[in-house]
Amino acid sequence: MSLPTKRSATATASTAGTSTSSTYPPMKKAKCQAASAFSPLDYSKNGLHHSDEVVFDPSSISLDDDPKLVDYCPPPAAANLSRKKATLPQPAKKLVIKLVKAKPTLPTNFEEDTWAKLQSAIKAIFLKQPDSCDLEKLYQAVNDLCLHKMGGNLYLRIEKECEAHISAALQSLVGQSPDLEVFLKLVATCWKDLCDQMLMIRGIALYLDRTYVKQTPNVRSLWDMGLQLFRKHLSLSPEVEHKTVTGILRMIERERLGESADRSLLDHLLKMFTSLGIYAESFESPFLECTSEFYASEGMKYMQQSDVPDYLKHVESRLNEEQDRCNIYIDASTKKPLIATAEKQLLERHISAILDKGFMMLMDGHRIKDLQTMYSLFLRVNSLESLRQALSMYIRRTGQGMVMDEEKDKDMVSSLLEFKASLDSVWEESFSKNEGFCITVKDAFEHLINLRQAGLSVIGKEMSPIDSWFADLLRLRPLFPVYGASPTNRPAELIAKFLDDKLRAGNKGTSEEELEGTLDKVLVLFRFIQGKDVFEAFYKKDLAKRLLLGKSASIDAEKSMISKLKTECGSQFTNKLEGMFKDIELSKEINESFKQSSQARTKLPSGIEMSVHVLTTGYWPTYPPMDVRLPHELNVYQDIFKEFYLSKYSGRRLMWQNSLGHCVLKAEFPKGRKELAVSLFQTVVLMLFNDAQKLSLQDIKDSTGIEDKELRRTLQSLACGRVRVLQKLPKGRDVEDDDSFLFNEGFTAPLYRIKVNAIQMKETVEENTSTTERVFQHRQYQVDAAIVRIMKTRKVLSHTLLITELFQQMNEIGRQTLPSSKTFLLLMDIDIDEKNILCCKQLKFPIKPADLKKRIESLIDRDYLERDKNNSQIYNYLA
Amino acid sequence: MPPRASKRKATASHNSSSVTSADDSPTGTITGLDNVILIAPSDKNKTKKTDRLDTLFDSYANCSSGIIDPEGIEALCSDINVEHTDVRILMFAWKLKAQRQGYFTRDEWRSGMKALKVDSLSKLKKGLPELEKEVNTPGNFQDFYSYAFRYCLTEEKQKTVDIESVCELLNLVLGSQFQSKVDLLIEYLKIQSDYKAINLDQWMGFLRFCKEISFPDLENYDADLAWPLILDNFVDWMKEKRS
Repeated sequence: MSLPTKRSATATASTAGTSTSSTYPPMKKAKCQAASAFSPLDYSKNGLHHSDEVVFDPSSISLDDDPKLVDYCPPPAAANLSRKKATLPQPAKKLVIKLVKAKPTLPTNFEEDTWAKLQSAIKAIFLKQPDSCDLEKLYQAVNDLCLHKMGGNLYLRIEKECEAHISAALQSLVGQSPDLEVFLKLVATCWKDLCDQMLMIRGIALYLDRTYVKQTPNVRSLWDMGLQLFRKHLSLSPEVEHKTVTGILRMIERERLGESADRSLLDHLLKMFTSLGIYAESFESPFLECTSEFYASEGMKYMQQSDVPDYLKHVESRLNEEQDRCNIYIDASTKKPLIATAEKQLLERHISAILDKGFMMLMDGHRIKDLQTMYSLFLRVNSLESLRQALSMYIRRTGQGMVMDEEKDKDMVSSLLEFKASLDSVWEESFSKNEGFCITVKDAFEHLINLRQAGLSVIGKEMSPIDSWFADLLRLRPLFPVYGASPTNRPAELIAKFLDDKLRAGNKGTSEEELEGTLDKVLVLFRFIQGKDVFEAFYKKDLAKRLLLGKSASIDAEKSMISKLKTECGSQFTNKLEGMFKDIELSKEINESFKQSSQARTKLPSGIEMSVHVLTTGYWPTYPPMDVRLPHELNVYQDIFKEFYLSKYSGRRLMWQNSLGHCVLKAEFPKGRKELAVSLFQTVVLMLFNDAQKLSLQDIKDSTGIEDKELRRTLQSLACGRVRVLQKLPKGRDVEDDDSFLFNEGFTAPLYRIKVNAIQMKETVEENTSTTERVFQHRQYQVDAAIVRIMKTRKVLSHTLLITELFQQMNEIGRQTLPSSKTFLLLMDIDIDEKNILCCKQLKFPIKPADLKKRIESLIDRDYLERDKNNSQIYNYLA
Repeated sequence: MPPRASKRKATASHNSSSVTSADDSPTGTITGLDNVILIAPSDKNKTKKTDRLDTLFDSYANCSSGIIDPEGIEALCSDINVEHTDVRILMFAWKLKAQRQGYFTRDEWRSGMKALKVDSLSKLKKGLPELEKEVNTPGNFQDFYSYAFRYCLTEEKQKTVDIESVCELLNLVLGSQFQSKVDLLIEYLKIQSDYKAINLDQWMGFLRFCKEISFPDLENYDADLAWPLILDNFVDWMKEKRS
């Protein structure tokens, strides 16, 4: 009988289907429908009596009756199978399935009863009372209602119930405790309860959620319905909402003011807002507003009360606090606007005040840490530009104090070096090596270094045409020396002098490494110099003295400096300086071979040793020739050397530079023998005293032929300085016309060898002026030559074109700066290969169009050019 | 020769402007001819005129040097009731093409007076307004202006005139035409310390400036053009002063 059973199973399903619907729904649905046809009894009952419900009546199955049915219901394969089997020879026995006639009916008041059960349960839940009915039954009740398509009604009923309760709960909050915290707690509790309750209800009515709610559009889940109701009633009692929000804000404010706050309470309440979906409008915007106000007033107050570093620290901690706040109880989405609000009120509004009030102080105090705070805070609010400007201003202002004060010239370079080092460390540690800041520092320094400079001709202004006319007339140099004139570029000059000081012998206590380090640092300043020719002129002058007077601390250090300059500016810049070293070395060789020459061995006067430096003109600074009547022995010596030298190098011209000579004299004082290191002039003067006890100024002048000013200086050094080998009558600091001089019989000194020639190392005003003047002259020649070169090829050219062409002859850099600053850089030499162009960049000096005009006018004056008679804008070249 | 000469003379007396143009004409032969005629003793009229000019010249000339010196000029001025610092005297010098400041040579006197068509003091006095008009024609003024500067160069090889004289000269030659500009320029020249003297190029620049630059807004002044630097400075000074 197994076969028919199988058949009946398939049939059962289909017949059951027919009982509920006239169509043939798919299997799945059919099952579902079948289930709904079961009697609305308990689940357990159902389960137990499952088989009872369908009565198998084999006779009632009639395949022929309704073949469609059979065909339809089972899967096709099964149908075939059954058909095959059906065709087996078997007795024709009809299986009939009879449907139960009576439809299972629900009890009439089924819905009401069930609801009553549920309602009481819900009420109990809301009232937090125990309910008699166990939860499983309740669930089943919901389930039943749903199965009987009473879900919609049920939903409405539950909603109504919830609404009544929620409304009551919120109403109960109205007028509650005036104490905000207590009130907040009440709200929180109310919310928490509601959540719990709604969860519970949802648990019971889960089936409703899963069927009715899901299948019906525009119906909220129970949970959402609860929230929606809460929201609705909250908005109906604005007092509660308002009070809650203010309460929270008040609490946060209190926390900001340092009191402790119940953070979990806040957390709950804020989560409530979020869950209700009213966070942004109800809380966030008033919160941000409140924050803004709070920090606005705090910012104002603190800015007035505390100094900048404290303020910055405060701001930093405030920002951290707000960050924490967001991490702990405020919704993460608020973080950004919140921090931005705080930053705006605490920082952005006070940027300039902070900088004005505190930046200088911090910089002066070298407060790395505070500056770092400032930097990182400013970075947050995109105000680095202001900070950068403040830095630039600071450097300029501070540096100006160092550079512009002539009284501080002596310390200018060292203070600039210190300043730079301090800035570098601030930049590194506080400004996190920001590139823009680095450029700012550089720019500001370049500005500083070149503050005190003149372009072409500020040596006491341009000489007036009448002067130049006289100058032409008298065949003077084109520029009169103007003493004490404003220097070309004072810092450049001082940097050169600073180096001289370092490289000079007698700097005890500095090791080679230290010296090297100093040179490197100075080089940094050197890079900023625009008038590098000024530096070169002074450096050369000092180097010459060091080399010629043997005062150089170390030739290695000298050479290292030269090579540094060479890498910096190219070989063109240093080839003259290198030439000086070559001269010195060559001179040594010449002296050696001179000593071994026959002339020296046969003709030289005895008792004198002499060495000669042969200097190539052009490499060395130019020295004004100084006449002096040398003692016979020295004259002889000079002549013999000259003879020797010219025999070796014919066709050269030797000029003795007496002002640079220095000697060691053996002197026999009554109180002991001494060796005196003196200048040649000093020697000449002292040797007069071999034959005389007392000489007047005039006597000395007549015998030596030294120029008056120089002679006075020489005598002053011998009779009025620290070492007094002569006595002056009458005593006094300055040498007067009627003074006379005595050999100092009582001269004593602790040392055997005494230096008296410090005077030679010292720079005189004339020397300084002439060096400066040479720089100017050189620059003028450069420009004049350029103008003449252009005019010579063009013959006729308009002013504008001439100026343009002049700047074209200068470099690209010059043209780049042309529109903005109207200051141009004239390059001294323009060469083709790249390295030299680089070097030319360094050899720039600032030149303005006005300077060029001046040179053009000067050339007109000197009849190189003329202004065209008919068109004043055009120049003609006069050959 | 004489008849031709008399013919020439006749035309000359009829139309003196032709004489002037003959003077200005670059053809040397005619001028040479003129000179010959001037000296020719046979020409009565001519001689008479030349004599009159010479007499007039001699009355002011220094006996020893034979030329009119500053003293003589002063006497001449007082005789025609004109201040010797009057611009018209400068114009007179220009007309005479006087080479040296404060001196008129006989040749300068003769040709200049002839060009002025005057031979007596009263005629000279009457001729001055005419001369003024002549100078102020655009063609002549620039020449006169530059002459005024050159006239001040008294030393050999001198190329510049000191500021003080320049100021006076400016006032004299440009003061009437460009009063406000000249006043300011003079004020500036006196306070600036860059220049102690002015050269011809700068001097000519002043005239250009007065003629071309709108005042007082200075709108069309462009320092990038070939103005002498002193004018750039002047304009800067004015702008600064105004602000």
